[in-house]
Amino acid sequence: MKRQRILALVKLQVKALIRVPTTLFIILLLPIALTLTMGLAFGSIVVENYGWTNQTGSIFDFMVPGLFAISALFMAMPVALSFSEDREQGLLKRINTTPMTAIEFMGSHVISNMCMAIIQVIIVGIISFLLGYRPDGAIAGITLAFVFMMVFSLSSIGFGLLTATIAKNPKAAGGIVWIFMFPQQMLASGLYPLPPETQLIGMFMPLYYVSDALTLLFNGVALGNLRIWWDLIILIMFSLVIFIGGIILFKKYGKA
Amino acid sequence: MLKSKSKNNNLTFGSDNPNAIEVIDLRKIYSGKNVIKEVKAVDGISFSINKGEIFGLLGPNGAGKTTTINILCGLINQTEGDAFVGGYNVKKDLNKIKELIGVCPQEAAVYKFLNAKENIEFFGNLHLVKKEKINERTDRFLDLLGLLDASNRKAKSYSGGMLRQLNLIVALISDPPIIFLDEPTVGMDPRVRRTTWKFIGSLKEQNKTIILTTHYIEEAEALCDRVAIIDYGKLIEIGQPKELIDKYNAKDLEEVFMKITGRRILEGF
Ligand SMILES: Nc1ncnc2c1ncn2[C@@H]1O[C@H](COP(=O)(O)OP(=O)(O)OP(=O)(O)O)[C@@H](O)[C@H]1O
Ligand SMILES: [Mg+2]
Repeated sequence: MKRQRILALVKLQVKALIRVPTTLFIILLLPIALTLTMGLAFGSIVVENYGWTNQTGSIFDFMVPGLFAISALFMAMPVALSFSEDREQGLLKRINTTPMTAIEFMGSHVISNMCMAIIQVIIVGIISFLLGYRPDGAIAGITLAFVFMMVFSLSSIGFGLLTATIAKNPKAAGGIVWIFMFPQQMLASGLYPLPPETQLIGMFMPLYYVSDALTLLFNGVALGNLRIWWDLIILIMFSLVIFIGGIILFKKYGKA
Repeated sequence: MLKSKSKNNNLTFGSDNPNAIEVIDLRKIYSGKNVIKEVKAVDGISFSINKGEIFGLLGPNGAGKTTTINILCGLINQTEGDAFVGGYNVKKDLNKIKELIGVCPQEAAVYKFLNAKENIEFFGNLHLVKKEKINERTDRFLDLLGLLDASNRKAKSYSGGMLRQLNLIVALISDPPIIFLDEPTVGMDPRVRRTTWKFIGSLKEQNKTIILTTHYIEEAEALCDRVAIIDYGKLIEIGQPKELIDKYNAKDLEEVFMKITGRRILEGF
């Protein structure tokens, strides 16, 4: 692992995110718009004993953890787009003729995506705060929430790679990525209470464990609660499988 | 062990084989579900290229030039045969080979959202070139090819010829001893093309080994020490341009090219 290469790649990826309008839209404006919409729509609807947490407060309060998770999932889109775009432009091949290793290459994607995950947490956090959301967690709990988001960003990269493997070109990738994003948003984000049978499906998706743990952490559940740690363990396993699976499949079927 | 002439990073060749490149009975056959009929893209080619030589790989469209280059720089695996670059076997020591080569692909491959300088710097960093070296070479190359004025504009706004120039510079940023140039001058206007020829010629003075493909036969005649003409994946002629012109009693290399690549059609293949 050479620092010069990793730095160059991370810099490149950050520039790609900032300079390409679609990706900037997806990673920054989409989470902002989503949080604002949900906040304005559901921020003043106060309910009692709502959802599995039996919360009393606004419906928006119940949604916030899921909004964090969904925002991080959006990262699958720029990953899918950049891999299929770079492949189409012959840039992946060109990079392949340089001495850079696969570990450096994927490592840099992990770093830049984790950084983006943190920025998204901060953005969604600020907007929800402005809309009246007050998490009930201690500093340690909030810190652990960041860890969940960073682990989850591995899944997002994996979903992006799987998309780029299936998609023949960037346009197709922009559509196909929803195969991975939409069901998770609907069934695993915890934005609204679901019947138990439907929720069971969501439990086969990594987003569920982020949303679940963040809900616990933001509601002041003690860190000793085993459910949080089970969430983390399952999320790590899911994320590693999707991340490594994405790399292997892209390498095998997606490079041409 | 032979030390290459490259000054920046003391790149070392893998053996004391004087050949920069050696290709032995190389074959690449495309088959599989994406291919209707088996394609023999490269069909038993052998040649070797000396250190410091500019070697032209000529042939009609689909002859197998890009395929040969892609095998040599490790982008695809050959079906059969052996290939050595800098004394290293492409099947075994690809990592070593990647330290020695610069590749200018047939299609311009640069980041459109970066400007010329950023593109060059990025690839320089991947080759671990020192920052001062990157800056110095970037300015020199951009200036030599007349791309300096546009170098702070994003590549998205470049014309076809400008992209090709950038494509070429990116291949050279690591000052590699072995350089693959796959149709580097396509789409350049005559003036820029001549500037580029001079530029490529100046690399020869630095004892670089260059593998050049081109459809501008006069380009090959002007630049190359030797050329190989391939067709249907087979090597049909190899030698110095002058030699071949004499041998075929032609007025220039282009006539040689027309004579020997057209032969198959005339003979009813
Ligand atoms: N991935 C592939 N699958 C099937 N056939 C291929 C593939 N890549 C190349 N070919 C075939 O291999 C042959 C040689 O192609 P190659 O790109 O090496 O030609 P070339 O000499 O570089 O031509 P040009 O001058 O047009 O660039 C062609 O018939 C081409 O159709
Ligand atoms: Mg070609």
